[in-house]
Amino acid sequence: MKSLLLTFGSLALTAGVVANAYMQNKQFYPSVVYITKSSPSMAVLYVQAFVCVILMGKLMRKIFFGQLRAAEMEHLIERSWYAVTETCLAFTVFRDDFSPRFVALFTLLLFLKCFHWLAEDRIDYMERSPIISWLFHIRALSLLAFLACSDVFFINHAYYHTLIKGASVQLVFGFEYAILLMVLLHIFVKYVLHTVDVQNENPWENKAIYLLYTELLLGFIKVVLYMLFLAIMVKVHTFPLFAIRPMYLTMRVFKKALNDVVMSRRAIRNMNTLYPDATPEELSASDVCIICREEMVSSCKKLPCNHIFHKSCLRSWFQRQQSCPTCRMDIIHSPRPQSPQAAQPAAPAAPPQQPPVPPFPAAAFPGFPAAFPGAAWPPQHPPASSSASVASSTSTTTTSFSTSASTSDTANNPFMPGMMPPMPFMPPFMMPPMSFGMSPPPVPPADFSGLTDEELRAMEGEERENLEARVQCLRNIHTLLDAAMLQIQQYTTVVSRMGGLDTASTSTVWSAERPTASAMSSKSSNIATSNSSDPMMAAPNPVDTSNKPDDSEVLEGAVGYTVPTETVLPSGESGAAQQDSEDSSELGEIRRRRLEKFSNKMQEQAKTDNNGGTPD
Amino acid sequence: MAGSALKRLMAEYKQLTLNPPEGIVAGPVDEENFFEWEALITGPEETCFEGGVFAAKLTFPSDYPLSPPKMKFTCDIFHPNIYSDGRVCISILHAPGDDPMGYESSAERWSPVQSVEKILLSVVSMLAEPNDESAANVDAAKTWRDNRARFNEIAHQTVRKSLGL
Ligand SMILES: [Zn+2]
Ligand SMILES: [Zn+2]
Repeated sequence: MKSLLLTFGSLALTAGVVANAYMQNKQFYPSVVYITKSSPSMAVLYVQAFVCVILMGKLMRKIFFGQLRAAEMEHLIERSWYAVTETCLAFTVFRDDFSPRFVALFTLLLFLKCFHWLAEDRIDYMERSPIISWLFHIRALSLLAFLACSDVFFINHAYYHTLIKGASVQLVFGFEYAILLMVLLHIFVKYVLHTVDVQNENPWENKAIYLLYTELLLGFIKVVLYMLFLAIMVKVHTFPLFAIRPMYLTMRVFKKALNDVVMSRRAIRNMNTLYPDATPEELSASDVCIICREEMVSSCKKLPCNHIFHKSCLRSWFQRQQSCPTCRMDIIHSPRPQSPQAAQPAAPAAPPQQPPVPPFPAAAFPGFPAAFPGAAWPPQHPPASSSASVASSTSTTTTSFSTSASTSDTANNPFMPGMMPPMPFMPPFMMPPMSFGMSPPPVPPADFSGLTDEELRAMEGEERENLEARVQCLRNIHTLLDAAMLQIQQYTTVVSRMGGLDTASTSTVWSAERPTASAMSSKSSNIATSNSSDPMMAAPNPVDTSNKPDDSEVLEGAVGYTVPTETVLPSGESGAAQQDSEDSSELGEIRRRRLEKFSNKMQEQAKTDNNGGTPD
Repeated sequence: MAGSALKRLMAEYKQLTLNPPEGIVAGPVDEENFFEWEALITGPEETCFEGGVFAAKLTFPSDYPLSPPKMKFTCDIFHPNIYSDGRVCISILHAPGDDPMGYESSAERWSPVQSVEKILLSVVSMLAEPNDESAANVDAAKTWRDNRARFNEIAHQTVRKSLGL
């Protein structure tokens, strides 16, 4: 209403000015001269021009976007605010060139910038909406074409202007439009990728990768452009303060893209090398991928904790965090460095009779830890390889276990032989999950009575052979831990196989694996504390307890709500998304009915509350 | 095929409409944009919020199951774990590594295993059992700890307000 009034006001004023000029001069040319000479008339005309620009903007918005969404509007206002501030800063640099034409050019730049932002928001919206109409595509394409033309035109113009007349404010415009062109290119690539994705029947795994690399490349070009701009501006004029903020933002985006690419590459590498593909039996046993809630048919990976996910889902998750989405087992650190970590609690527990050993290497032998990763710890790889064999079948696990045990240390190990045998033959099938969770299986001997005095003596002192003896001792412990690890894997495989039949037992598998994870990643003595020191959501809650099985509740203390219902999606319905979009109207109906019912119930409740509770 | 975030949200929505948990309604505000949801939560029984219907807005990021949504009550609610502007502060809504209160272990944080339903159930239990150790609204936490009668009174007022009385 206010803007309408303003529009008409300015229109009336302009008409008045023009009419007045014409009345006084009676001819076209003199009236033009008259108007340009009179400052009040010119002021009115400037206001009119401004109003025209805004009207033009509204018209174009109507054509290319239709109604703007609230989020888009918010975004636009926030960004324009910064842009206006920066433009004002730019004015201070170029105060010599200051002229109406100059202001007009900046306004135009701002205007086009707004449309670039809106286009970006609109294209991003493609990912969010289930319905993309033809109108959307037509609008998007024509807008992109229009913006590209204007960008190229202005870059061209700035280029020739600078060639002919030397460095001027056109430099700024040239760079601004070059940056905008890059933004536009990015938007276009996104548009193409989204469109292809929407047309495709199957999820497009590599889309995220393409997006990432596009962002990296264009981010790099933008950073280079800004650097160039900065250098030229410092040389020709002065330090361009107004370009600092966008430059900083661009660099940050670039850095993030770089980081993402590195993380993504690492994730892919880990995925391909560390984790086995899930076998068809495992796929049929498990129902949905917990990340996307869709059925797992092919290209799935199994983590060391036996949780199975889509390869693509897992990859995008690993870009953020290197842990199992379900049980939060630390994936990167647990298969390998787990050995030194896990050995730590064992070592202090072992040596009460032999003081020199205790505090693991660090302070005592400065040179020592460096040698650890490779040389001193040969059985580093067994965990990975054996976990691969766990995937294939339980029986092979047993054999591969015994081979890894024999290859590593059994030969020169005094107390190992006594320890080893029970483990492969321990029947994992018989152990109920609870007792397992309570007692971490292979406990190293509490005292070293199994060691002879000779062996103990061998470990005392600071000589090389003493060190070697100690390392050997630690290796033995390490092997024990590997064995425990294997057993745990065996165990979880068995449980998941037994539990794969119905969803109810899957949830028990899951909860059974939690203590497993903590047992592996932390000291066994910590299990109790880690479980009890999670107060936040652990508090039993009246709404939920009723429909929760007791045992999972007990085990579940640590995670609060993460317990049960996760995989109850009926398997048939997570299929095609097309179906979903067809169903969405039906869903809307369900929802409306539900809301109606709900609000009726509320009203009833309100009434009773009103009648019974408060008599006022 | 649409983006994975959208598909997952549609799957969750379907699940929620077919098997709605007791006392909770949730769904997209607009069927064309699945990234903004509205939710109605009934105050848990036998608590000071019993009988109230609290409206909240959930905003999902475009990488949804990988990052948590944001939740904000759109009605007045006085609670230790809800900022005075309505934002909900519970551990399940924080990604590991982003820890405004600095006390939460990563085990209770967001991960794709969580869902809208679990968030809302957590919020219900949060209403029932405020956690005054990590107060978002210090005032409310203080009242809850020191002057329970007053807290109950305020809660009762918000319940009446939420019902439009
Ligand atoms: Zn998946
Ligand atoms: Zn796991």
